[in-house]
Amino acid sequence: MRDINDTKLEAIVSELRRPAPFDATFDRRVMRAVRTVATRPLRLISPLMPMPRWRVYSAFAAVAVAMLAVAILPGRHAMRAKPVQFVLVAPQAKTVQVVGDFNGWDPSHAEFAAENRGGGVWSLTAPIPPGHHRYGFLVDDSLWVPDPAAPRVADEDFGKPNSALVVEDTP
Amino acid sequence: MLLTASLATAQRAPLARLNKVLDAPTRTAVLAIIDSARVAGLPADVLVNKALEGAGKRADGPLIVAAVRSLAGELRRSRDALGHASRDAEITAGAHAIHAGVAPTELTQLRRSAMGRQLTTPITVLTDLVSRGVPAATASTAVLSLERAGLRDAEFGAYQRSVRQDIERGADPAAAATTRARGAALRHGGGTSFVTGR
Repeated sequence: MRDINDTKLEAIVSELRRPAPFDATFDRRVMRAVRTVATRPLRLISPLMPMPRWRVYSAFAAVAVAMLAVAILPGRHAMRAKPVQFVLVAPQAKTVQVVGDFNGWDPSHAEFAAENRGGGVWSLTAPIPPGHHRYGFLVDDSLWVPDPAAPRVADEDFGKPNSALVVEDTP
Repeated sequence: MLLTASLATAQRAPLARLNKVLDAPTRTAVLAIIDSARVAGLPADVLVNKALEGAGKRADGPLIVAAVRSLAGELRRSRDALGHASRDAEITAGAHAIHAGVAPTELTQLRRSAMGRQLTTPITVLTDLVSRGVPAATASTAVLSLERAGLRDAEFGAYQRSVRQDIERGADPAAAATTRARGAALRHGGGTSFVTGR
């Protein structure tokens, strides 16, 4: 490291401590400059960094695509989701929905409508994220039925029984 | 791909849906409970889903608020019993076990006997047994014995199915749970650690 002479150092410090002189027109000049900039049309690219217009549009397009991808592509959990088959035997049913915490308890999700495989066997296979889930079957939009093949959950807070599903968090 | 993306969107949007399906007073009360749970580090998504379940099943607002509040308390007791390092899925399963009538001390015992192992499946099986009429103490003893014997999750699942079938065929729930647990522990070489009843 280079030694700095104390006298020189003191001179530098004292210069830095000296109040900077402002004349009476300083504020006015600053505000004029600010107003001038503010009234200019907005330029996205600085004149110091000239860039062809197509590059600007490409950059905007890339950002838009990235935002769309984040919005619609599967998240971390969904990527690790595992296919789970749900089966209910309901010969008299006209529709069977799988409704649970993995679809926000929303019976309107077409992706969770079970298909009639014949002989009264309804089934659906859907990717479910790892974790502990609760669900049930909604038959004909009115009757809640627990999965007879799954463990029960004793949480009939709303008078309708649920089933439990554990999806392991393994690769 | 589209199906997966669509499902992912469905799985990520529960809180936004909560704003749509609940009336204003219910929403305010539920969101306050959810915020408190989130601040306490509890798995708040479980509470969101409980509220959505209530809305999906067309329950009244006060009933939804009561269910969410009750679950928040059970999540807290579950985490206290299982330890703060427990996974969200374990805490959730524990909350449902407590709701079913399992004592928090039983969950603590289970945790102590299975240090480092995931307890979500054993606790889910425990809850299932209790909901099928097995006394909570008997069910806890059976599951604890199986855990000590080193059963894996798939074997816990097989045990649950056997007990369920026995009960559906008319067996006494306690006898079915105890007998099947003894058999499963013996098969796994852990028969000597089984303790019956309380």
